[in-house]
Amino acid sequence: MRYKVLTVDDSKTVRIIVRKAFKPYDCDIIEAGNGVEGLAVAAKEMPALILLDVTMPVMDGVEMLTKLKADPALKGIPVIMLTAEGGREHVLKIAKIGVRDYLVKPFKEEVLIEKCGRVLDLKPIADAPAKARSIFDPADLLIIEDKPAIIQQIQEGLRHTPWKIRGVSTTAEAVAQCASATPDLILVSLSLPEEAAFTFFRHIRTGIKTKYTPVFGLVVKTEIAQQQQAQTVGFSAVITKPIDTAELETKVAKAMNLDTSLRYFALDGEAMVLTMPENCAPAVLAEVGAYLKPKFAEAVDAGVNKVVIDLHHVKALHMGIIKLLFQAMQTCRELAISYALVGHAQLVSECKGFEDTRGWTFHDSLEDAKASLARATPQLAGVS
Amino acid sequence: MPSTVEITESLIRDYINRAVTDVFKTMLGRVPTFSTPGETTSKAASPHTSGRPLVVGTVGFVGDINGLIYLHLDLAFAELCTRHLLGMNEAELIEAGDEVINDAVGELTNMTVGSFKNGLCDAGYPCKLTIPTITRGTNFSIEPVGNIVRHIYQFDCAEHRVVADILLQPEE
Repeated sequence: MRYKVLTVDDSKTVRIIVRKAFKPYDCDIIEAGNGVEGLAVAAKEMPALILLDVTMPVMDGVEMLTKLKADPALKGIPVIMLTAEGGREHVLKIAKIGVRDYLVKPFKEEVLIEKCGRVLDLKPIADAPAKARSIFDPADLLIIEDKPAIIQQIQEGLRHTPWKIRGVSTTAEAVAQCASATPDLILVSLSLPEEAAFTFFRHIRTGIKTKYTPVFGLVVKTEIAQQQQAQTVGFSAVITKPIDTAELETKVAKAMNLDTSLRYFALDGEAMVLTMPENCAPAVLAEVGAYLKPKFAEAVDAGVNKVVIDLHHVKALHMGIIKLLFQAMQTCRELAISYALVGHAQLVSECKGFEDTRGWTFHDSLEDAKASLARATPQLAGVS
Repeated sequence: MPSTVEITESLIRDYINRAVTDVFKTMLGRVPTFSTPGETTSKAASPHTSGRPLVVGTVGFVGDINGLIYLHLDLAFAELCTRHLLGMNEAELIEAGDEVINDAVGELTNMTVGSFKNGLCDAGYPCKLTIPTITRGTNFSIEPVGNIVRHIYQFDCAEHRVVADILLQPEE
């Protein structure tokens, strides 16, 4: 739901500055030029917040505020004063009538947004809607860790990604970094002195630009109390040391809501190729499983009705992989897609050991599989 | 009720310097500098002698102390300030017209005088702002009537001259 914010000011300049400040956020700005108009617009539109000037013609801000607070239907609307009237006694008098905050002009747009963000849950609007970000797009990760070896390990482990990974040793440095450029994801050591990670987390969650930034905690596996504390306060995930960078990568991609399907699914000529990775951990299999139906359906929609499932990276077969392959074959049947398997000798041999997989046929290469699909009748190329 | 502080020229200079600096730095990202020491007079004077077109904002304050401040900006600087405040380019400003420039200068004056008079309020002289007015012209003088104390301060900002012309009614 888009918030409505009412700005009541006789200066068009101020109303334009307010509109400009809220432009990056999911808000509608409505305007009034004096207190009489302000009351009428408030009653009609029921805004989520009113920004109110004091010195205005027709009806000033103090009178409008008094009338607003006396109206049972309107008195619940939070008001932030935005005015050049900033004398102590004046501020106290207005505060007694009932305002949520008081901002004295001149003001910076960031300060206005920060104050409004304490009243409304402001959400930034995406610059480019619709297109989801993918695993191959750049992203900024910030690590706060006082042990340089850990920062280095994460940078090394994620070197193959397009992500820019910066490391700092204190939360003060991190706050400065976040102020200059908001990272896409933050990893913070829970072992920093004086519970600095938790103080930093609260700071991040109150910032308008960072309140939705995923924050991961880094902690030694045996520090159960810190892990529980992080989960209780709302950390997006807790990563235990020693760090499994493959698992970290999967969790980071999920937390940033990245489209990871391109890692496994690709259109190759007249066939869609599903490439199973070397690491078929449960999280990876779950990820591939979630993409099966939409990706195969996407292929059919694009006029492609052949799928090659390439297992030559897989070192050894296990039940998780077999279950996923059955799920893939079933999806192919439902969508009337022909499929073929590619694998090495060891996989062929392992398949002979299971009753359900004994009949599977593997091709040596993608080219063989595609040639087989071209010759075969639909749905039968992978089963002997 | 706070105890009152004697209003001296030094206090006024301090308050107007702080107000102009704060407004121009916060709203326009430009730091003005005092270009001349203050001039105190009760006579008519024309603080601008360049003959260039001016946009002058005026805001008063009324209460335990009464006065007016005229903020003089040359038209080119008024246009620059308006564009910066509203995020407009030159063509957009031309299309928007003089009304937008007047409103922007009025608001800059309102903020400057607000900041100045908030200092007076906290010094024990509660007063309220009046609504801004705008005067445009190339050659005009302000002639205060009666026993008015006048202080004129000049600032340099982004190669332009800004003049704060303060008229105060002495205490009865």
